[in-house]
Amino acid sequence: MNLNLPGYTGTGGGATIGGGLNLPGYTGTGGGLTTGGGLNIPAMGEADIPVDLATATAGGLGGLGQIAGGIGDIFGGLMGAGQQALSSPNALMGLAGGLLTKEAYDRLSNIGEQAKREAMGVAERGQAESQFRPFTVTTPTGAMFSTSMGDQQPAPTPMGAMAPPSGQFIGGASPLAGMTPEQIQAAMTGGGLAGGIAGGLPAPQPAAQPAVMPTPAGDGLQVGMQLSPQEQALQQQLLGGAGGFFGQAAQPTADREQAIFERMRAAQRPEEERQRLALEERLAAQGRLGTSSAAYGGATPELLALSTAEREARDRSMLTAMQQAQAEQAQQATLGGQFLGAGYLPQQQLIAATQPGLIQQELAQQAQQFGTGLFGETALSGIEAQLLAEQARANLLGGIGSNVISGLINQQRAASAAPSSGGSSSLGGLFSSIAGGLGSIGGGIADILGIGG
Amino acid sequence: MAQQLQSINLVAPAFKGVNTEDSPLAQDPSFAEIADNAVIDKRGRIAARKGHDVITTTKTVLGTESIRAIKEFRDDGGNTKIFSVGNNKIISGTTTLVDETPASYTITADNWKMVNFNDNIYFFQRGYEPLVYDNAGGSVIKLSTVSGAAGVASAMYGNEVLAAYGRLWTADFSSNKSTIYWSDLLIGHDWSGGTSGNIDISKVWPDGYDEIVALAAHNGLLIIFGKHSIIAYQGAEAPATMSVADTVAGVGCVDRDTVQYTGTDVLFLSHTGLKSFGRTIQEKSMPISSLSGNITKDIIASLQAETEFFRSVYSPEEGFYLLTFTGQNTTFCFDVRGTVENGSYRVTRWPGTGFTSFTRLEDGTLYIGTSQGISEYTGYADNDEAYRFKYYSPSLTFGDSSRIKILKKLKPTLVGANSATVFLKWAYDFDTTFATAEFTVGTQVTGYFNESEFNSTAEFTGGELTSQRSLNATGYGTSVQVGLEADIDGSPLSLQEINVMALIGKLL
Repeated sequence: MNLNLPGYTGTGGGATIGGGLNLPGYTGTGGGLTTGGGLNIPAMGEADIPVDLATATAGGLGGLGQIAGGIGDIFGGLMGAGQQALSSPNALMGLAGGLLTKEAYDRLSNIGEQAKREAMGVAERGQAESQFRPFTVTTPTGAMFSTSMGDQQPAPTPMGAMAPPSGQFIGGASPLAGMTPEQIQAAMTGGGLAGGIAGGLPAPQPAAQPAVMPTPAGDGLQVGMQLSPQEQALQQQLLGGAGGFFGQAAQPTADREQAIFERMRAAQRPEEERQRLALEERLAAQGRLGTSSAAYGGATPELLALSTAEREARDRSMLTAMQQAQAEQAQQATLGGQFLGAGYLPQQQLIAATQPGLIQQELAQQAQQFGTGLFGETALSGIEAQLLAEQARANLLGGIGSNVISGLINQQRAASAAPSSGGSSSLGGLFSSIAGGLGSIGGGIADILGIGG
Repeated sequence: MAQQLQSINLVAPAFKGVNTEDSPLAQDPSFAEIADNAVIDKRGRIAARKGHDVITTTKTVLGTESIRAIKEFRDDGGNTKIFSVGNNKIISGTTTLVDETPASYTITADNWKMVNFNDNIYFFQRGYEPLVYDNAGGSVIKLSTVSGAAGVASAMYGNEVLAAYGRLWTADFSSNKSTIYWSDLLIGHDWSGGTSGNIDISKVWPDGYDEIVALAAHNGLLIIFGKHSIIAYQGAEAPATMSVADTVAGVGCVDRDTVQYTGTDVLFLSHTGLKSFGRTIQEKSMPISSLSGNITKDIIASLQAETEFFRSVYSPEEGFYLLTFTGQNTTFCFDVRGTVENGSYRVTRWPGTGFTSFTRLEDGTLYIGTSQGISEYTGYADNDEAYRFKYYSPSLTFGDSSRIKILKKLKPTLVGANSATVFLKWAYDFDTTFATAEFTVGTQVTGYFNESEFNSTAEFTGGELTSQRSLNATGYGTSVQVGLEADIDGSPLSLQEINVMALIGKLL
């Protein structure tokens, strides 16, 4: 026989006569409540009772003996009440009512567990059915966008045979493709680009890079993009050009300034020479060719003016060359940026092309999720209905048990109202014994702590 | 039957000066074959030149050398000082010559040229650092030691210096004969700053190459005399922009010290004689006449034989331009008051004067440098010594060179020459052996009011003494040359005329 204590939800517990008392937090075994003795706690497990208290014997210290006496009173009262119930027919009816109630309780407990299991099953199925499904988007140019989740394999390419033959390029080949930044720099500064970038440059190298596909690796979403060979070649070409332009933009401008300056001076020198010769002729005609005046820097005013003009032209050319070189540097950087941006254009276009596919996939995902949700709701509705049915049955049993016990109690109350009522004396003795025992325990504790009167 | 004497009157003989270029027979009697120590006087007559009166009394610093150049320093404050050079010294003073040579400054030549510029007098000679003197400093110092001096380097140690257009100009360097340097404006010691500068005219010479000899400034032009050509620059006020105005090829200047300004023209001695710059510019497209056209050969011979210095001076007071070849001790005197038919100046010759330098002072006084020091051109004696005046006419044919001329009388008319002994000479047919008749001119003392003329029995004149003598001549010939010599010793002498009385004989 088990004793169910209010608030106690443990299983297999309960006070058993001649068995043991399972208390919350008490995990010890082998102990028990002995009739006529005290509380024997062979070893304290999780109960927060000092060992010396648990192992204290009656008649030892005054306080401890008083506590032990109190506990004995409590269990004594209980044992007395049990014996009185077993010896009465009303008590058997009460016991039957209790059993019905227990049965109702057990059924409720079982149906909850069953509902939980079935709900978990529905959840797992819904999770499985709502799992991300890999898909692949293929553009008309042959680029592919594929996704996968975890160990999923990417979706098969529906147009896997549309890759162009190797060596075909879209939009023609850049002369800078395949060149290292140093080669581009050399071509630029060496005049190869000054007179047009068409000549003297190496042939474009077709890209032969492998496609970038998602590789299943661990959990998570795997996204992969694969350009067509033409796009890969174009991308390689553009990125190579961007590298060349950036490399050139990063070069010092001094050499380029000098080159521009020399070209400007080469354009200016003939006219300067003509002016100089004309002035020389004028000075010679005037007999002033050998004139040197300190006021004019060791020359004539005309020579000084000419020299000043030439110096100013040189200065302007120098500044212009600096500005031009810097402009070219900026242009290289801009071109590098444009090439870089254009290099990623196939990828951007691929991403843009995946948008319709993503929408379709999203719609499919929504439909999938909707179906999964619908399934879950339907399944849960069934479970819920089953729960309600089981709950009703348990309530029915519980109600019968409750009615039986209520009948007994009412009958007992009626008997109690009479002058000799054994039941009343039994319950009164029970509660008085428990109260007396608790009073003894409190007095013992007070003695131990030294706070008693 | 006795023939009548024919009178040939030589009026104002040689008033056209010496002419050694034309044939003696065809010459005008107005020319002279010889006119030594003579000038053309104020009346157009040939006359004895003035002598020189030595001012210097103490010439220790000069020693036995001669004064090679004289210059009067003048500044705006009215300060004056006479500088001269000689005996490798810079000398000052006239009566007592003082050595002004800067300390530790060694001079081995006396070919200095001195110019006044902006209250300073500058001394330039090729290869020597220029010297400078100003009244405040009181001593001759090297140009580089002047405060603020700049650019004074051996490259500009020129032989020629010109003060014109607010600057000093120098040229004719030891190793550079085609460059002219000019100083900063009004700063004669700044040759590298301000508006100083230089010009190399080696590419300007009209005949390809020449060497600068002298510089002159005239009529807004900077005149650059080469040895064989002349270049005139205009706008020399701003040298950096001056330009060639004219060039003359084939005529140059012999020496910087022959260049003299006459106020309206620039005279210079070229290799073919004395030239005028103005006339040279005017006539450059025509045969250029020479101012010494009557003695061209003599001039050329003299300048070719010259081994020392050329010295010249222009005296508007005396009306002549003197040109001395010091190595030959000969001075040519050009009368600049007028020219003869061929455009030449009337010229006489002063031989053996010992003149080695000249300068004209601000007041017109003409100073002459000699070995005796500094003299003044004045009086009629060379430092109290007589000098010989000579006149010889060209050979005269009296209009008919085919007949014999038999001189009977010579009647010279002289002005002045108090107490002078006059030698009248004649020769026939180009003979160099002359017959001589000697006479002494009387003495005439000028009388003044309240002097003895009026209170004694002595005789006095009121002006110049005029002497006219009649001398008997001898010999005969087809051509006759008449001469007159006199020792000038204190009194002037002018030859007014010579009247020749001759018989015209038979035809030869």
